[in-house]
Amino acid sequence: MIQALAFYLFAAVTVASGVMVISSRNPVHSVLFLILAFFNAAALFVLLGAEFLAMILIVVYVGAVAVLFLFVVMMLDINFVELRQGFARYLPIGAAIGLVLLAEIFLAVGAWTVIPVTADSSITPIPPMNEVTNTHALGALIYTHYVYLFQTAGLILLVAMIGAIVLTLRSRSDVKRQSVDEQNARRPEDVVEVVKVGRGGGV
Amino acid sequence: MSAIDPYILSGVIIVAQILAIVVPLLVAVAYLTYAERKVIGAIQLRKGPNVVGPFGLLQPFADGIKLLAKETILPAGANKLIFILAPMLTFILSLIAWAVIPFDDGMVLADINVGVLYLFAISSLGVYGVIMAGWASNSKYAFLGALRSAAQMVSYEVSLGFVIISVLLCVGSLNLSDIVMAQKTVWFAIPLFPMFVVFFISVLAETNRAPFDLPEGESELVAGYFVEYSSMSFALFFLGEYANMILMSAITAVLFLGGWLPPIDIAPLNWIPGPIWFFLKIAFVLFFFLWVRATMPRYRYDQLMRLGWKVFLPLSLFWVVLTAGVLVTFGLVPA
Amino acid sequence: MNAVTSLPVMMPASAEIFLAIAGMVLLMIGVFRGESSLRFLSYATIATFAVAAILVVTQGGGGEAFYGLFVSEGFAQFAKILILIGSAFAVLLSRDYLVREQAGRFEFPILILFATLGMLMMVSANDLMSLYMSLELQSLSLYVMASIRRDTLKATEAGLKYFVLGALSSGMLLYGCSMIYGFAGTTSFTGLAAVFAAQTGVVPLGLVIGIVFLIAGLAFKVSAVPFHMWTPDVYEGAPTPVTALFAVAPKIAALALFVRAMMDPFADLIGSWQQVLVFVSIASMGLGALGALVQTNIKRLMAYSSIGHMGYLLVGIAAGNQAGVTGVMLYLATYIFMNVGTFAMILAMRRDGRLVEEIGDLAGLSKTHPMMALALMIFMFSMAGIPPLAGFFGKWYVFMAAVDAGLFGLAVIGILTSVIGAFYYLRIIKIMYFDEATQPLDDAVSQDLRVILYGSAVVTVLFVLFISPVYDAAKVAAISLVGA
Repeated sequence: MIQALAFYLFAAVTVASGVMVISSRNPVHSVLFLILAFFNAAALFVLLGAEFLAMILIVVYVGAVAVLFLFVVMMLDINFVELRQGFARYLPIGAAIGLVLLAEIFLAVGAWTVIPVTADSSITPIPPMNEVTNTHALGALIYTHYVYLFQTAGLILLVAMIGAIVLTLRSRSDVKRQSVDEQNARRPEDVVEVVKVGRGGGV
Repeated sequence: MSAIDPYILSGVIIVAQILAIVVPLLVAVAYLTYAERKVIGAIQLRKGPNVVGPFGLLQPFADGIKLLAKETILPAGANKLIFILAPMLTFILSLIAWAVIPFDDGMVLADINVGVLYLFAISSLGVYGVIMAGWASNSKYAFLGALRSAAQMVSYEVSLGFVIISVLLCVGSLNLSDIVMAQKTVWFAIPLFPMFVVFFISVLAETNRAPFDLPEGESELVAGYFVEYSSMSFALFFLGEYANMILMSAITAVLFLGGWLPPIDIAPLNWIPGPIWFFLKIAFVLFFFLWVRATMPRYRYDQLMRLGWKVFLPLSLFWVVLTAGVLVTFGLVPA
Repeated sequence: MNAVTSLPVMMPASAEIFLAIAGMVLLMIGVFRGESSLRFLSYATIATFAVAAILVVTQGGGGEAFYGLFVSEGFAQFAKILILIGSAFAVLLSRDYLVREQAGRFEFPILILFATLGMLMMVSANDLMSLYMSLELQSLSLYVMASIRRDTLKATEAGLKYFVLGALSSGMLLYGCSMIYGFAGTTSFTGLAAVFAAQTGVVPLGLVIGIVFLIAGLAFKVSAVPFHMWTPDVYEGAPTPVTALFAVAPKIAALALFVRAMMDPFADLIGSWQQVLVFVSIASMGLGALGALVQTNIKRLMAYSSIGHMGYLLVGIAAGNQAGVTGVMLYLATYIFMNVGTFAMILAMRRDGRLVEEIGDLAGLSKTHPMMALALMIFMFSMAGIPPLAGFFGKWYVFMAAVDAGLFGLAVIGILTSVIGAFYYLRIIKIMYFDEATQPLDDAVSQDLRVILYGSAVVTVLFVLFISPVYDAAKVAAISLVGA
């Protein structure tokens, strides 16, 4: 009973905060609601027994991605009133597409028949959850059977990194940079001179 | 009625357990501030607080009552809701992480499989309290402090993660009790000594402590992200920051210093109960926090970023590979 | 759970593994040697493609690798060779441009290399997951390349448009994949084919919706109508050598992936997807022909031309038989040379050292540069499908396959649209030969461009001599995928 209650609570908050993300006036509030939605999604994962995914969702999305969102939203002074001007004009077409997608989900779920060949194999997780923690199970799969996808994901991230550098890095020549090696290599005898100043003479 | 009874009972037990952790923690926070002033005083050849109560022992309470009695000021241009939410968030986050910390064999509130990840997740959320406070204050200093802090915490989290991974490689589990038990023969601080150092320094950056206290650098930013806060809302930040220090020391103790285990498992040492050992180790790490604060000058911002990205990140990445390589080569991979 | 300790089968993927490692090595060289290494990296990239091509050819019968996520057979080999040729040309075309426009960045050839790696992996994808991952690897590299001239407004606009719409299409693709997975319980192509072969009775509606979304995502990548909107803007905005790459290699990869997705896992559901492809194909042929009529910018014209070509190629997939696949592969082989040659010509269009790209700038080319005008005329005739030239054969085999499959209407519409399309190709020839030049184009054309321009013109003309070996190779490739 508690499980069901918890599910409905988390699910309701997720949906509600999802709605708030797109409807709240202040973009910072939108991001904060997004974070709330992530949290509740993580809680739903916990209810499913997918504790590893729940934690990773928080570490990656809340701890890193949403921080960047918040950063950007706070630093850019976006005039959202201006941005929303086309909103009413595009609302009908957007709503129409949304409705079509929704209708398709209903159609798909309504006509849900898992093909019998695989129906029985897809119900129980392999290996059973009480024998192996899901961290172990995921690790044993990702690094063996799905190593190809894992490496491809690595390459995609590499390309993303190259892209970010290519598109944004500007090497500025007018900036003074610290060279730690140079500083460490400096010796007192090279740069300090001890002078005996005579009385009334000055240096 | 009887169907609900077990829920009520277990609820009461959980609340009691939570109080058993939180109340001593708050007292510890209060006396950490006292210890800080005493230690720094000693290092700087001063006496530190010695007026309120015997040896100044009541000083923290005097400070607390003073803060409570003051007026809470809400700046006119502030975003009220977030402004109030931010200190609460910081404080709550510093408390909820304690749920998974094992004080002794089996003496833990929630013995979950992914304890380390939970701690990592909670510590990565700490940045929100800071940025929310900085932004909601609607003040230049606060915002600059918040930006600095966010960039700093996100940067050091990366190497922190790799350090944790190299520990996990040696344990083969994400459960904190398992991590402690894996150190029965030798504490990880010895074979993974470089990682221990990297971890400790990253923790300093993560908790915004000296020498990485740029977010609140008083000489340039007045007090950084909490410059607009006063009275109780300020006190929550303050409590949160110190509770975080204790938490991070506890994590250091669990990951590297063998948690509740005695240094050597022999007669007089293993008579002392585990929680005492754990407390001593936390105190030991905390002393380092204070020692560093009293002796190190503050880093410049570019130096801070350089250290994080160009020194710690490659080093910890290399160490992860090395650890994995050594474990595989010598057949030490935990089952 | 017993751990898998042995290494997976990797040999069929040797070309991809080599490309990935070579890419990282070249990246390191570039990082440490700086911008001055551009020239070296360009040639090294081409050499890498050559080695990869050798590995592709010598991998023998191929087979599955990485626990069935990757597959290589005659079909994949044929497509991979075409992709490597297309990418190598793109690197060659870009070198002169990068130096002249001072846009030289050493990352450029490396991004081409990673994009090519993504394309090869697309061709060999044997699982919905590897399909998606390889598609993203390729697309992400291309997004960056579209806006590599980050200081020009048009290039950034092109990159942003491409990225946003590409992300949308990836979303649709994933939505479709998740629906297919939900119904079949497997993502592996082999598994899906087995499931659908055993499936009897009415195809579930949700599965059909899933397939339609998958097709929509793939149609976006090949820029088929109604998912073509990005094409003219991106073609026009991106730097010309990048456009030359966009027009050739990714199209081949996406089409090969399209062919595999339709013919391998969903072969038994042809009734569900054939009408969709027929519609997309007719719309692309029609819009490609009509849209090109009003263009004045030659890159936009090439965009509409490629939309039209995709329409013809989709005719071959819609046919759904071995003849159709053969036709598609043969068409792609001819498509490379016509397009690379045309883009070499566009890159050679300079006036006072600056690139021009209006069709009107070609006026009087026959008098100032008779050889170049002749070459461009050959490409235009070939694209229009005039008989002895290469372009004709592709269309011929594709339409024959459609007739074989009983899609007479589709074949007739295809022929009608190629007649309309011929008009705008002929318009270019008319401008070159009969209009008066206002101001001639520059004489200095780099050696690289000349070689590519005339070389591909010769190939296009003489293709008729090699038609039977190429046809046989394409047929072997098709048989390896769909059976005789």
